Order: sequence, then structure tokens, then C-alpha cells
Amino acid sequence: MSIAVVTDSTSDLPADLVEKHGISVIPLNVHIEDETFLDGVTISSDEMYRRLPDAKVIPTTSAPSVGAFVELYEKLAKTHDEIISVHISSKLSLTHNSAVNAVAEMSSTTTPIAVVDTQQASMALGWTAVRVAEAISDGASLDDSVALAKKLSERAVFIGMVDTLKYLVRGGRIGKAQGFVGSLLRVKPILTIREGEAHPLERARNRSKGIARIKSLVAEYAPLEKLAVLYTTDEDDAREIANDIAEFDPDGSPAVAQLGPVVGNYLGPGMLGLGLIRAEPS
Amino acid sequence: MQNSMVESDRTGSKVLVEMIRATASAVEANRDTINALNVFPVPDGDTGTNMMLTLRSVVDDIGDDSSGTIGDIAKKMARAALLGARGNSGLILAQFFKGLSESLGTSDGEPLLRGTSFARSLRIAATNSYKAIPNPVEGTMLTVYRECADVAEASAAQNGSFENVLAAVAASSLETVRRTPQLLPVLAEAEVVDSGGFGFAVMLDGALRSLHGNEPAGRVVEVPMPGGTKFSGTVKADFVDASEEIDWGYCTVFAIQSESIDLDKLRAHMDQLGRSPIVDGTDGIAKVHVHMEDPGKALSAGLGYGQISNIEIVNMDEQTAGWAAARRNSAGRRRVPTLAAPKIAVVAVAAGDGLTDLIISAGLGATSVVEGGDTMNPSVADLLAAVNAAPSNKVILLPNNKNVVAAAQQVPDLTGKDVRVVPTRSVQTGVAALLAFSMDLSLDENAEAMNDVAGEVGEGRVCRASRDVTIYGREIKAGMAFATFDDVIVTVGRDPLFVLVKLIEECSDGAEIVTVYTGESLSPEQVKTTTETLEDKFADIEIEVVHGGQPHYDYLIAVE
Repeated sequence: MSIAVVTDSTSDLPADLVEKHGISVIPLNVHIEDETFLDGVTISSDEMYRRLPDAKVIPTTSAPSVGAFVELYEKLAKTHDEIISVHISSKLSLTHNSAVNAVAEMSSTTTPIAVVDTQQASMALGWTAVRVAEAISDGASLDDSVALAKKLSERAVFIGMVDTLKYLVRGGRIGKAQGFVGSLLRVKPILTIREGEAHPLERARNRSKGIARIKSLVAEYAPLEKLAVLYTTDEDDAREIANDIAEFDPDGSPAVAQLGPVVGNYLGPGMLGLGLIRAEPS
Repeated sequence: MQNSMVESDRTGSKVLVEMIRATASAVEANRDTINALNVFPVPDGDTGTNMMLTLRSVVDDIGDDSSGTIGDIAKKMARAALLGARGNSGLILAQFFKGLSESLGTSDGEPLLRGTSFARSLRIAATNSYKAIPNPVEGTMLTVYRECADVAEASAAQNGSFENVLAAVAASSLETVRRTPQLLPVLAEAEVVDSGGFGFAVMLDGALRSLHGNEPAGRVVEVPMPGGTKFSGTVKADFVDASEEIDWGYCTVFAIQSESIDLDKLRAHMDQLGRSPIVDGTDGIAKVHVHMEDPGKALSAGLGYGQISNIEIVNMDEQTAGWAAARRNSAGRRRVPTLAAPKIAVVAVAAGDGLTDLIISAGLGATSVVEGGDTMNPSVADLLAAVNAAPSNKVILLPNNKNVVAAAQQVPDLTGKDVRVVPTRSVQTGVAALLAFSMDLSLDENAEAMNDVAGEVGEGRVCRASRDVTIYGREIKAGMAFATFDDVIVTVGRDPLFVLVKLIEECSDGAEIVTVYTGESLSPEQVKTTTETLEDKFADIEIEVVHGGQPHYDYLIAVE
């Protein structure tokens, strides 16, 4: 008996982790002017960020279609007995909605499919998918996996220091971070995702103080099960942070992941952050 | 019986009210001198003003009503003094009234002022004042209170009447003031005596003259200088007037009505004519505020743009407390938050349009601003009103000025709200602290986080001396620019921008970011030059230049 694990491209899972755990990643759509791209498939993140500041028309994103989900689920049903599909917060994207509708469309199928709204995004979602895949390979049932995914969404943490809130504002995803908007100083807002939406955490006076704060936050969240350093455009800074906080990763080597165009569209160039899962309280 | 009647006439409720009224007119008569004695350069020349405003709030509250016992009246006075207290000197002054209230209020319907009860009230005032100040310093009003209490106790013990005790205290207080430079070196360097202490001696002089029936009760008192020398800086040395008004003449405000007004052109025009222009407008009406030597020129220029109305001209050389109070209380001065019901609200003190906007923008939509600063310390009542009006029962209060800290610390006891005071010593520190404010934290956690940030910020300021002064061993000529950093003089020079550069050079070791707030006296060109110069000079430090619009200081800086 085998269970397939599905997530979406907003998980920002690096290719090696996708491959290692046999996870299926369904891409969201990115619309730039008249063109539509598949997140991570027909447009690279670097390409997106290069275009972002100068885009005449604001890029938008859209959830995978119901049809795309049906197609993927049907394909997986041929090789697996059950499917667990874990997704980006339903408050940030209609992806979860599409997945649920796809399952409804497939009522004639006998393959059980469980869809989970993780209330998270980026590697906070990505690590949830990985942990579920690990549990399944250790023999967890579909019910166990769903229970685990729900539990993990409470221990999964996304942290993002952005250069500016303007992309979040124009994308309509500002959420409770509204209060950070309008600061007349060049502060660096540090955001998290809480109850499925953007939430203001702190403000750093400048980038280097923000980086220091990201590192100290890791210590506050430790002990950890999983740790990734996130970036949109500044890979070198991300690698340096990963190096400095390596001791907090159970394997001594945090993953470094680039945000895909979808979430990246709202956080913008220059963003640095964390996606982690805290250890279960003992 | 006969004796008792005479005594009653002379020291009962009516006499107490008259004496206090006399202390107010005495301080008013000596206000400029008291201001001038206040040595901290430029901005703090307001001791006399603060004491006068504090006393005036007592006098206004009592009015002509001398009914009730002396204890009742003293209690009313103590409350009015506290609510009306301005600045550190006002708060210490409020302790004097609290002493009277506690001493006279306990004498069980006692109808008369006695030498002993007056001595007791001075002792209570002295003891409480030392407790009220975080770091009591000798050579100040505190010393004068304490030594007055010593003299009063000794005099009362020799069976002294109230009149004898008051006379002894009035005489000895001047001698204590004369010795203040020996106790506080900064006074000696500046060749002054303590301003607040002198203010209190002036009050005692007025009270005694009132008791003796001398007219007028409030007369000019000669400053008791060490070695019998004369105090050099008379009226002209008033820091407030010298720095804010003599240079600027008339504060001229008027409205222009016209179909279409080119605000930029009007602003540039006013900038050319006068100083500190503020021009704004909507829907065919422009409002102009400008400091002019000749207000007529601004009005004539205004006529070129349309019909003028709502003309208001204030001679700033004749700044009166009434004007100051009206300015403080005028509509729109207190800025209120935009967020309907924040969990925690912030009340912050600031002066300057830019800094006010900055504080509101940094305050998560939950921050109201009380206007005030170095020369216009908000009173306890001002702060209390703002806290009570704040849209939450949990309030963080940021005094943003070292002379407002003590007033702010009175507020928690006077309101039913849960208030935490973060004792920010400057507005630039307040802005930095405010960035740590978070709706996710509890009231106490917020206060702690903001305190931590405030403790890490280095604060500097650049201003120009309005008269020759010697501060911390540095002679500063009138008109020279000088910089202080964490209350130490760092550098002196002709050009404020040059002084700013030196200040940053000296104080930015290990700093990551320096925020520079430009004052209202700087023109847009000067701000541009400042930004370019700093970017050029300091490639290694992040420097952010923002419009502060603060009075007096060309620049305020925060080093983090």
C-alpha cells in the first residue's frame, strides 16, 4: 500500500528534496502582462525577480485549475493507493479550493484523497510535505499523515524580512501587516504567517540588524526538526545566514531555498527569511 | 483672644491665597532672569516660564475663593500644581504645595498658618523631592528646599511665629542659591546660580512682601551671585526668546483664497521673504505661516495670490504664557490615532511636523502625539488628558524629553488606565523605541522591549548658542553651532553641517545606522546639501536623513 504526497509550487521545495522524498509539486500560474507561466516550470524565480521592479503591469498569480489537479490526482492514482495533498494557506491562495473541488469532481474514483490547508506557505509548507513523506515511508497511514500535517502546521514557522511592503500591498496580501505600512523611515519589516495570513512581527532599523534578528529568532524557536533559510534574490546572504545558524539544524546544514515567483511576487526582491518546523515539545 | 484675632487675620485662609498669588507675580516679574540662569544651552531656558505657568494654574484654580480651612485650600492648590506642573522645575514646585497640603491638611481644622506647620511642610517637600527625582543633584532646587527646611525648623523651635519663620527662610534661601555653584560645577562654569532654586527664593520674597502688605508683592530680585558679583545675563539672555524669537520677529499666519493657487510658488516666495515658512492648502484656500521681521511684507505678497483673511500676527519677542498656552491648546495640535480600537495605545511627546508624522507612522496607527519639547514642556494635565483620550485602557507613554520624564511618571497614579512610562530622554530615542512596539506583545513586554531599544540608542543634537556660554569647560560664543552627544559637548564650529559631520565622526564608532532629523530652520537646499555631504563623507555607515521639522535644533541624530 502506498501513499502519494502532493504539494504546490509555493512550498519552494528545492529540487533535491522533491526528488529524495518523491513529492509531486503542482505549479501555480504566474501572469506577466499577456503571458502566463507555470511557476518554476516555464519561468524561473530569477527571471521573475528581474522583471518585478520594472513591470508596467503588476504581475498576478493564480491557483492551479481544478482540471490540473484532476489530471495529477488521476495520474498518481494509477501508481498509488491513497493521496495526501498539502497546500498553501487558503487565505493566501485559491489552490486549496481547487484541490478540494478536484476531489469532488473525482467522486467516482475509489482512491482516497485527503486535502490539507496548512495555513502556511513557502518552506513552512514545504517542510510539512517532507515530514509527511518521511512519516509515510516509516509506515504512517493516510489518517496518521493527515493528523500529522495538521499538527505540523501549528509548529511550522515562516519568517520573512522584506525590503519593502509595496509588493505585499499591491498584491492585496497585506493582511494584519497593514500597521507596518506607511513608516516614513527605511525600516525592514519582519513578517510571519499567522492564522493563514501575513502578520507583522517586528521592525528592524536596517538590513543588517534585521539579519541579526533573523538569526536570533532561530535560537528562540529552537529546538528544531527542520530549518531552511529563504531568499528571493540574495543567495549569498542566505548562505551566510545558513552558515551562521547551522548549529540549530538537526543535520547541521540548513537548507537554502529560493522563494518561487508566487510568494516572491508579494515579498519582492531582497527578502530574506526562514522556513522551519519546531520540535515537538517533550 | 484679642491676639488670636490679629493672628487669624494675618495668617488665615485669605492670607494664604494672597501669598500664593504673590509668589506667582514674583516669578512672573523675574521670569526672564530665571530663564536666563537655566544653563543648558539654548533649549532649556524655560525654568522661569515653567514655574510661572505652574503657579498660574494654581492661582487660576483657586480664583478669589478663600473659603474653607487653610488645609482645604492647600489640598486644592496641591492638586492644581501637580496637574499644571510644567517641566522638572514645575514638578519640584508641585512638591512644595504637596508639602503644604500634607502639613496643613493634618492640623485638624487648624485655622492658622504656624511657624511649625510651615517648617513641617518644607521638610515634607524636601524629602519628597529627593525621592521624586531619579538622580538627585545638589546645587539645585532640592538643596534650597532642604536648607530652607533646616532653617525653618530651627526658627520654629525658637518659638518663631509664621512671619518670623517665613522671613528667616526667605533670607536664607538667597544665601543657599548663592552657594549652588560650589555644589554644581556646571553652574560655576556658566557663571550662573541655580535657576529653579532662585525661582523658589523669588517666591518666598513675594510671599513675605505680601504678608507685610508691601506693593507690589512681586518685585525684581537681584540674583545672589557668588562673591557679590553681578549676574551678567539679564533679560536679553533669555534662551527662549533669543533663539526662537528675536531672530524671527513676528509669527505671521494668514489664509489666501483664490480659484487656483500655485502652492510651490507661494512656498518659495515665502521662503524668500521670511523664515520657517509653512504653506499648505486645498480647494482654493492656502494657509501661510511664516516668521517675518516685517509681517506687512508677507501680507502684501499674499495679496498677489488672492484675497487674504484670518490674519494672525504674534510678536514673538513678547511671548507670553497666554500665547504659549493658546498655541499648545489650539485645535489640531494633538494628533490622534487612526486605528479604531488598538489593544495598546501609545502617547508620545514631540515637536515638529516631520517628527510628529514619523511617530504616527511608526506607531502602528495607535499613537497620539502631544506637542511639546524643550521650551514647551507639556504639563502633567496635558499628558493625563492625552492618556485618558487614548483609544485603549492600556497605554505606553513616551515623554521623549528628559525634562518631561518626571511629569510623565506622575500620570499612572492619576488615571484609571493601565499606563507604562518608557522614560525616553529625547524624541529621536522615542522614534527608535517606538519601532519595537508590537500588538503581539503585552503592555509590560512592550515597555520592556522599548526600554531595551531606548537604552541602546545614542542621541546627539546640533544647535546654535544664543549667547556666550561656558558648558562642560567649553566656551561657546553666541551664534556658534555646537553638538552634544549623550549630554556631553562634542564639537563646536561655525557651520552646523560641519559640526554635524564632526559629531557623526566622533560618535558613530561601531554604529550601523545614523538617523539625522533636520530641523525647521533648514531650507530644502540645506537639507539637500546635508544629505549629499553625509553620503559623501560616510560610505561605511548607513545614514538616513529625514525631515524632523523640530524647533531649535538644526539636527537631531540617533545612533544605533
